[in-house]
Amino acid sequence: MLVDIIKKMIRVSKSMTEDRLATKDASKDFVHKSEIFRGKHEILYDVCTGCDACNKICPVDAIVMKPLPLKRPNKIPEVNLAICIFCGLCEDVCPTKPKALKLSGGTFDMRAGGAHEAQDNFWVRVDVPQDWIEKKKEEERKKAEAAAKKKAEMAAKKKAEAEAKAKAEAEAKAKEEASKEAPTKEDNNG
Amino acid sequence: MEAIRKVLEKYDNEYVEDYKPTWLKAKFTNPNDLLSIVQDLQAEGIKTCSTVSPTDFIDENKIEVNYFLEDIINKKNVWLKFDIPRELEACKIPSITPLMPSANWHELEAYSTFGVKFEGHPNLRYFLISADYYGKFPFRKDFDWKAHEQNLIQNIDEITSEWLDEYEENEKTLPKDGSKTILHWGPTHPASGPIRLKVGVDGENIQWVDPDIGYVWRALEHLVERKDFIGSIVAVERICFMDNPNPMICYSQAVEEIAGKEITRFAKLMRVVLGEIGRIASHLISMGGFFGNAGLHTFVMWTMDVREYFLDALEEYSGARIATACIEPGGVRYPLRDGWLDIVQKAIEKYESSKDEFFDIFINNPLMKTRAVANAIISKEDVVQNYMAGPIARASGVKVDVRIDEPYAGYDEIEFDYVTCENGDIYDRLHIFFKELDQSMDIIKQAIAKIQEGIASGEMNPQKDHLVRIPKKLPAGEAVTRIEWARGEILMHLVTQEKATNPYRLKIKAPSVNHTMVLDELLRGKTLSDIPLVYGSMHICQGDLDR
Repeated sequence: MLVDIIKKMIRVSKSMTEDRLATKDASKDFVHKSEIFRGKHEILYDVCTGCDACNKICPVDAIVMKPLPLKRPNKIPEVNLAICIFCGLCEDVCPTKPKALKLSGGTFDMRAGGAHEAQDNFWVRVDVPQDWIEKKKEEERKKAEAAAKKKAEMAAKKKAEAEAKAKAEAEAKAKEEASKEAPTKEDNNG
Repeated sequence: MEAIRKVLEKYDNEYVEDYKPTWLKAKFTNPNDLLSIVQDLQAEGIKTCSTVSPTDFIDENKIEVNYFLEDIINKKNVWLKFDIPRELEACKIPSITPLMPSANWHELEAYSTFGVKFEGHPNLRYFLISADYYGKFPFRKDFDWKAHEQNLIQNIDEITSEWLDEYEENEKTLPKDGSKTILHWGPTHPASGPIRLKVGVDGENIQWVDPDIGYVWRALEHLVERKDFIGSIVAVERICFMDNPNPMICYSQAVEEIAGKEITRFAKLMRVVLGEIGRIASHLISMGGFFGNAGLHTFVMWTMDVREYFLDALEEYSGARIATACIEPGGVRYPLRDGWLDIVQKAIEKYESSKDEFFDIFINNPLMKTRAVANAIISKEDVVQNYMAGPIARASGVKVDVRIDEPYAGYDEIEFDYVTCENGDIYDRLHIFFKELDQSMDIIKQAIAKIQEGIASGEMNPQKDHLVRIPKKLPAGEAVTRIEWARGEILMHLVTQEKATNPYRLKIKAPSVNHTMVLDELLRGKTLSDIPLVYGSMHICQGDLDR
């Protein structure tokens, strides 16, 4: 009995000298953080193809596609963090490499900046720079021009080919007819 | 099994066929045969109803009612099907509650969500939904959710007044003199969680208990129907946050069965490890919660501390601690990264270093024992009659464990046995969790050893073997899968239609329904101070109670 009590007293006094976990400030310094922690999204506008797969799979409809005045990507995802459940399915389905939409490895720091701020702040918005859009537009215009040029060339080539073919056929026909006619003449002569 | 087959073939049926090693599946033509079929089955030893699951086939204008009946002692199960008309007036079937009390709340749930009238039910009432629920029967395919929501917003005052009416009614019916009154235990009681026990008391003696549930009813079974097969995992995992990976295993198995895909051995063993981590996290919270309910909050802190290490392991694997979404149809979602198994090992070591103190100070606590031993005993007969599942049944000495009865994932490769206690009192229902923790640690160790062996021999590739592609569109079919959850058996019944991209119907049977159902029986004649202890010992989670 006495030994028991002494044992317990020793155990309690030992615990007093032990290091405490609570010496860390957990809001700045993690006790544990995974490399693939599913946190705030990162969206790469220059990789995204606007395929809409993330929007389609999202189980809670947290993703809204923002339209862009481009052909590809013609829209780009934006995530409402107030609705998002951080399941990571959008990242799984993203077909690009590297992923255009990524949560794993993201930050946990998602504060909207205080309760007085509008809910609208609690979004992952993509700032697509205007000059990038212009550049992309220019590229697309050039591409379209090039394509149109190529198409026109192709069409011209095709036309020429078709004409040549028609001509050749007509010639062949004429020749055939001529060759048909020739023996009859010979027959007559004979 | 042959005797049961003979019984089933006696009645007019479309088919009687084998389904999995432990199941017989039969479809009958006449719903009025139900009672005599059940009586004959009871003579063969099938005495428990697991759940009742209606499916609404709106195109064929019928509702198919599925009964899942089990013989939990001899492991023989029967799946009965009946077609009944869809029109509300004709949508009737005899109630089996007088024969099998375990069907009681499951029938009420089927009535409230599908409008199937169970004739002869002792107290057929609206259950999860309120009596003034707009546009009745929310799980029917033609239910208008938008109109319901609009009505809810417009008439919110009238809906809340129902609750006040109940108070007035009590004032009238209770005698003015004497000590009888009705108390509300929950939903704001610190130990209750979102459930309200209406307790009829005389002084401090409990006369009856009427649980009022549905506070966290999210219609998960319906939510699943709106998502695709992969996206459904996030709805399924939200049954209860305490044991997260296991419900997803159950759902994924059902999808794999319909798709006809076999997952890799690596994925199976990973499911064992993740499932057991979930079980441990849940058991630790349950044990701590038991003492928390009794008013001693130290133990909750201690168990939570250990639990953090297991959550670390989940986070390191999936990137989230609670809602991990780590298992999807086709295997497990993420590849195994280097060093993850060491983190699990570290968590196990942490538990094993604090285990003895847990036992000495809490499980063996003399004060708790005076309150708990030989109190609120559940006998083996009660277990069979009311279908107590999992640890609650094993605490009464009944050998039930789906992991052994119907091995799934990689459990057939692992050696373990039923863990049981004898008495089935409150103390045993706590002690069993402590015993099961040891078993879970052992299972994880075995599974990890097998995974390491497999990787070393080159049989498994931890980067690629984790997932098998499941087609986006599944064929028409249905599957029933069971798993051993932390607090008992989960049964899922998944129905799909031809070329489906989302589930047509998913029935989730969760163990807490039956555990709450027996509170009335357990608490009658006890005093008010027993409520937290009895309630805590049933380890009820409102998430899986309401779904």
